[in-house]
Amino acid sequence: MKRMNQTTMRRLISIGMLLILVVLFTILAGAGKGKFFNFDNLIEVVRDASIPAIIGVGVTFIIITAGIDLSTGSMMALVGMTMANIYAYTLLPFSVMMLAGILVGLLCGLCNGIIVAKFNVPEFIGTLATMSIFRALTYIIAIRDANGVIKSQPMNHSQYTWLGTGIGKFYYVIIAMIIIVAAGQITLKYTRFGTNLYSVGASKKAATLSGIDVAKTRLIAYVITGFTVAIGAIFTTARLQSATTAIGMDFEFNPIAAAVVGGVALSGGSGDVIGTLIGALFMATLENGVRKLSINTAYQYVIKGAIIIAVVIFDATYKARMDRKAREEGAKEGLE
Amino acid sequence: MMKNFNWSKYSKPIILVAFIVVLSILRPKAFLSLDNFSNVLWSVAVIGIMVSGSIFVFLIGGIDLSIATLCAFSAVVVVSVTHMLGDTPVAVIAGVLAALVVGALAGAIHGIIITTFKIPAFLVTFATQSIFLGLAMVFTNNKIISCTVPAFTAIGAFKILGFPLPVYFMVIIALISWYILRKTVYGRYVYAVGGNPTASEISGINVKLASIVCYVLSGLTTALGGIVLASMTQQASSGTGAGYTNDVITAAVIGGVSLLGGEGTVPGAIFGAVLMGLLNNGLNLMSVPSTHAGLVKGLVIVVAVAFDAMQHADQSRKKVKKVKKASA
Repeated sequence: MKRMNQTTMRRLISIGMLLILVVLFTILAGAGKGKFFNFDNLIEVVRDASIPAIIGVGVTFIIITAGIDLSTGSMMALVGMTMANIYAYTLLPFSVMMLAGILVGLLCGLCNGIIVAKFNVPEFIGTLATMSIFRALTYIIAIRDANGVIKSQPMNHSQYTWLGTGIGKFYYVIIAMIIIVAAGQITLKYTRFGTNLYSVGASKKAATLSGIDVAKTRLIAYVITGFTVAIGAIFTTARLQSATTAIGMDFEFNPIAAAVVGGVALSGGSGDVIGTLIGALFMATLENGVRKLSINTAYQYVIKGAIIIAVVIFDATYKARMDRKAREEGAKEGLE
Repeated sequence: MMKNFNWSKYSKPIILVAFIVVLSILRPKAFLSLDNFSNVLWSVAVIGIMVSGSIFVFLIGGIDLSIATLCAFSAVVVVSVTHMLGDTPVAVIAGVLAALVVGALAGAIHGIIITTFKIPAFLVTFATQSIFLGLAMVFTNNKIISCTVPAFTAIGAFKILGFPLPVYFMVIIALISWYILRKTVYGRYVYAVGGNPTASEISGINVKLASIVCYVLSGLTTALGGIVLASMTQQASSGTGAGYTNDVITAAVIGGVSLLGGEGTVPGAIFGAVLMGLLNNGLNLMSVPSTHAGLVKGLVIVVAVAFDAMQHADQSRKKVKKVKKASA
């Protein structure tokens, strides 16, 4: 029998984890109306997973190049607040407002990309810095009332809020997620850019030597993330029907967690967008289940952190074992 | 003449003096007052205490993104334990010890996970950051818990010769760190591990143990920072220490500590802490709201780290040139 491919194995493990979680919550929180396992609630889970999954597409691209982006939450707030300003102070059509939001997202991504890829600032430091820069900019452009106090800006025009709804229970954000995840997966697997991402993540030196523009590839990954963050911000504000400075607080954790659970190795060079989608569904199921069990939400932070560490430890030991096996087999073949 | 001017040698005092001059001109009355002087000292002390321990982690090429929330968690622990044991001076001592144990344990866990499984430090501390935040919220029930026990508030407020106690803590801890790094074999190991872990391993250094100790030291000083902060503000919550991760990392980087490992000194880091303290104070005096201050601080990090990265690239280019010349 041919041994199962390591990537397929990892995919099965993440699907298994998701299924186990669903079964676990069905047992603990019950099935039926108002409980955990029913159509309405499961659709809610998918809806909650959509935004981390959409932004996760960009973040996955970055992680495949062995990078990281800690600024997505703040970037989302900045995009949301930019649109809120256009909403509050101009009569521009909503399409222009959304285009402006996307432009801001692209610019933020470009900033990250330049800092990281052109100035060689370590990714986690560069994006940690832009995380506080983007959040500060959000506060600076925040909408204030007559007394100068920051207020939440309502964005409840029906020509905009329809984006937060759907055709029945089939929410538009879920449709957007399916399109973006599919586009991301195709880009990764069937385009030269996708292949370049993997090459850069596997070895920057080898990629440079084989003629890939490493800096440009990394930069584009950050710009794409800016785009996905802007899409996420549009759907978030449309659903909340308002923009606040608190949008995306602690959000940066979610797409990274989704990618890690879905088997995107933080050392770069492996994983894909479908994995991140499964990871996002896993995290959303976890949040929903914890809520249904009415556990103190503070535990969510503890559980999320612990799960990331557990998965990463698992991946590290699993990879070490596989590498050893491969070496041993190679040695055997060499002897024969 | 200007060509021979060694900018990197004198850059620190020049920046410091320039900073003080600018602030004195912009806000002469507020900045040069005695009250403000002690404000600056307090701010410097907390960052200085924390960076004196975190420098060990930076020197081995690691990072700690959990500084702020570990700070919050240890602040919560010291206040809760003090309350639990009846708000006596003995209870305060027990609380302080408990918080320090929590800090050391957290550091040990970081170190063990990072070295055993060879996982990037930023990822592990990114995950534990969430765990500490959650624990702080669970312990406080997401409220602010205050503590006005005199024995506790004295930690932050008591003054000797006009200087508040935290300043003495900072000086003592910085001296200990400096001594360990400069005068002990372990200190040499830390620089060696940061410079080249593989070479250190081959030359017989127990890289794993040396690294774990670094994380424990960082956890200890972070916890002490949390204790001092809680004492100064007479309260603790999951928000205590928010923003200190950036402040400590920035202090280290401005002070010439390379995040790539193997480079940096305690006096440098303390200089960074002083500059960060002045920056915090300056932003405060210019009535920049704390929500906007992140813009300035973020830019400072980016510029400082980019500068460091460029210098490193420059050095390696020069090395290559030298080798080429020698071989020619």
